[in-house]
Amino acid sequence: MNYKVKKIFTNVRVIILLVFLVLAIVAINPRLGAEGIVIRNVMTNSSATEAGIQQPPPTVKPVNRERILAIDNRPINNVEDYYNYVNTFEPNKSIQIKTNKGLYRLTTREDVEIIELNETVKKTIHETITVNETINGTVVEVNKTISKTIEVPKTKKIIKGTEDIGMRVFDAPQTNIKKGLDLQGGTRVLLQPEEVLQPDDLQSLIDTMGERLNVYGLSDLVIRDASDLTGNQYILVEIAGANEEEIGNLLAKQGKFEAKIANETVFIGGKDIVFVCRSADCAGIDPNVGCYSSQGQEVCGFRFSISLSLEAAQKHADVTNKLDLVADGRYLSEPLELYLDDTKVDELNIGASLKGSATTDIVISGSGAGSTQQEAVLVSMNNMKRLQTVLITGSLPVKLKIVKIDAISPLLGEEFLRNAMFVGLLVLISVGIVLFIRYRKLQVAVPAFLISISEVILLLGVAALIGWNIDLAAVAGIIIAVGIGVDHQIVIADETLRGHQAIYDWKKRIKNAFFIIMASYFTVLVAVIPLIFAGAGLLKGFAIITILGASIGVFISRPVFARVIEILVRD
Amino acid sequence: MEENKPEEQQPSNSAENQESATESDTTVESNTSEEDKTELTKAKFKLPKIKLSFSGIKNIYEGQYKKLLVFPIALLLIAIILIGLKVAATGDFINRDVSLKGGVTVTIPTTQQVDISQLKDTLSSIFLENDISTKSLSQFGTQVGVIVEADIGEERREEQIDTLIEETGNALNLELATKDYSIEIVGSSLGASFFREIITALLIAFVLMAIVVFLYFRTIIPSAAVVLAVFSDILVTLAVVNLLGLKISTAGIAAFLMLIGYSVDTNILLSTRVLKRKEGTEMERFYGAFKTGIMMSATTLIAVTVALTFTQSEVIKQIMTILLIGLIVDLINTWIQNVGILRLYLERKAKKAVQ
Repeated sequence: MNYKVKKIFTNVRVIILLVFLVLAIVAINPRLGAEGIVIRNVMTNSSATEAGIQQPPPTVKPVNRERILAIDNRPINNVEDYYNYVNTFEPNKSIQIKTNKGLYRLTTREDVEIIELNETVKKTIHETITVNETINGTVVEVNKTISKTIEVPKTKKIIKGTEDIGMRVFDAPQTNIKKGLDLQGGTRVLLQPEEVLQPDDLQSLIDTMGERLNVYGLSDLVIRDASDLTGNQYILVEIAGANEEEIGNLLAKQGKFEAKIANETVFIGGKDIVFVCRSADCAGIDPNVGCYSSQGQEVCGFRFSISLSLEAAQKHADVTNKLDLVADGRYLSEPLELYLDDTKVDELNIGASLKGSATTDIVISGSGAGSTQQEAVLVSMNNMKRLQTVLITGSLPVKLKIVKIDAISPLLGEEFLRNAMFVGLLVLISVGIVLFIRYRKLQVAVPAFLISISEVILLLGVAALIGWNIDLAAVAGIIIAVGIGVDHQIVIADETLRGHQAIYDWKKRIKNAFFIIMASYFTVLVAVIPLIFAGAGLLKGFAIITILGASIGVFISRPVFARVIEILVRD
Repeated sequence: MEENKPEEQQPSNSAENQESATESDTTVESNTSEEDKTELTKAKFKLPKIKLSFSGIKNIYEGQYKKLLVFPIALLLIAIILIGLKVAATGDFINRDVSLKGGVTVTIPTTQQVDISQLKDTLSSIFLENDISTKSLSQFGTQVGVIVEADIGEERREEQIDTLIEETGNALNLELATKDYSIEIVGSSLGASFFREIITALLIAFVLMAIVVFLYFRTIIPSAAVVLAVFSDILVTLAVVNLLGLKISTAGIAAFLMLIGYSVDTNILLSTRVLKRKEGTEMERFYGAFKTGIMMSATTLIAVTVALTFTQSEVIKQIMTILLIGLIVDLINTWIQNVGILRLYLERKAKKAVQ
């Protein structure tokens, strides 16, 4: 027996399999005792960004992501610990976050609501304007700072609590295997451009969308183009973790933002806008409007300031110069109209003082409605965030249509994963039992069982290495690959163990087995290949995993099985 | 054994005599088949004793293979008629679920026991124009959640989805926040295009499979027999799936693709063993292939049944249900239909060789 064991472990094929297994385990990189929770996203303009916590790049392997180990020296072991502790934060307190990469100190902020009072105060503001001056006979643009006094309503700040520190987290992954959306929860949006795009445009579309989502505070995402057999183009966006239905709207918005005066475009989103304010002092609920009831609904106004490029400011000057003064000389005769995707979203009266001035600072306002004031504030803030995002990133080259949205609850995903692992194990064990009953020989059943398990490990290793997501379809692919593997092992066992084959040598027997195995391998291969290209690639995972699994089996593990059986059973 | 022997020869001889009565070389044929039989009885002594109790079935299986061929062919014809009737009645050869025709699926995990038919009635009374279906999400036979499907169209979609979720929540007495449920929304044009795409993929897969089989065997009849077996597997399974009233999703069609892969395996095994090997008699090779093939199907069937019983996911459940039906159908198509065709083919070949 010892002699046989030695013979097995000195066999080249067995050694190759073992080396691959080690490589696979290194790629999967299991860390069963991984501590802490992993940072998924860091919201822009949050106290977490201020403290220097980095937005994790999406390409980082799961186990290499930054992990929060402790906050204020309290160990944080899971997401629940995190939220339980974070919810107790008081505003304006300093907290200390320890991660595996360093120590951060951040200050919590107040969550404030500004309420307008029925009084006004005088306020002096400084404004930088660009004017044309003729110096030595040439016209040059000169920046001038002017001060002016305006009346603003008196406001009062009410502290509602502590602002969220701005991090989204998830429990530390124990391996490098990326879980698909249906196993970890998340949102998948499939969009279709309304006209066919050239590769360059498609890339710029994908870049803009990625930028939009980053501005929105999401980075753990996949955006890629997909196509199908009939040549339809799709854009697939997958956002892990959260169940964010509102994201769909952000993505599908072409985001063509235009500001017009008297039907003449003054500036457009993206290139004409050099700065969009997103900090609390110049963006938020509009103190001049506040919240009010209208037609049985609560409505809240928001506002934020933006800075225009010099050309856009000049255009503003040229257009407003032609306008007359109305309403006792307080406003210009035409308002500034804001259009988002060709729909008028807002109309602003232009103050008389702005006539002909090349102003670069403009305040954009809008509103949101809801059944309660709290809801209205939320809707209004979401609208503001969306508008800010499209102003920063500019418009997409085409209109997009949402053709599919899947939002998978993280709770359900976790449940599915546990179940899938349990089912996989049960399947392997029951197949092992059937093999043992049939052959009554541990020399056949045990190697078959071990090799099936090693195929699963190799498959997961490759998936971890290429960063392929394991979703439910991929689980089905793994089951298929293992099933085919078991079938092939039965063919090998039967070809080599049959009673009356004295005329054949072992080589011939194994060759016979592989003749059948290769035929089966090729048919499986050609059967799933069309799926890689069909239907926007949503079943690509299944196809790739099945192909990988079948190939690993045929070229790495099945030769080992044949050899091991030969060594164990021969003589 | 002794008693069995005459019975065994009696029906087979008369069957062959009837069929080849007009042909001149009747004697040659019956001679070869008698040789087969004697060799077989020799082989039978080596087999374990349980075989004896099946000898009646075995006699029919060996002797009446031509008549037995009627059975799989009838199955295929019935399947084609059923599918034809379905197309005539609904314009579609399967029941497509919302992932293939557009609509909304909401999955709500809840430990609460829910009467799904009552939930369906409640929701149907609110969504009069839509086709609503409810399913329970179960594991080990206990309910762990509910699934609601509705073919809500593109118009006023978001509004209708909100109502759907709210009404479902009301019916279950649950406050549903977004993290508490999963939702899948498919546009109807996408659903239709998915359907076309995957059916195309299925057809391409089938054609490629057929090409591989023909390249491998390089003989028309045995290759055609393999392809026919896979073809019948798919159609008969489809007919059974329709009879069960299953609504097919994208994953379900992928399961039909897997079926191509699995069912072709046993057929390739059979044809290789019988046509490309020289050891033993023909019948011994058939039985050798049968033993291996049944074992392959048995392990797969066990794996599929275990997965079907214990899985929670609708995706996996549907794949496994279709595979289970398909593998059972494949047993008939491989071991009756394909065996019958191969035996007829070998008989004719032997006849030609004699001539």
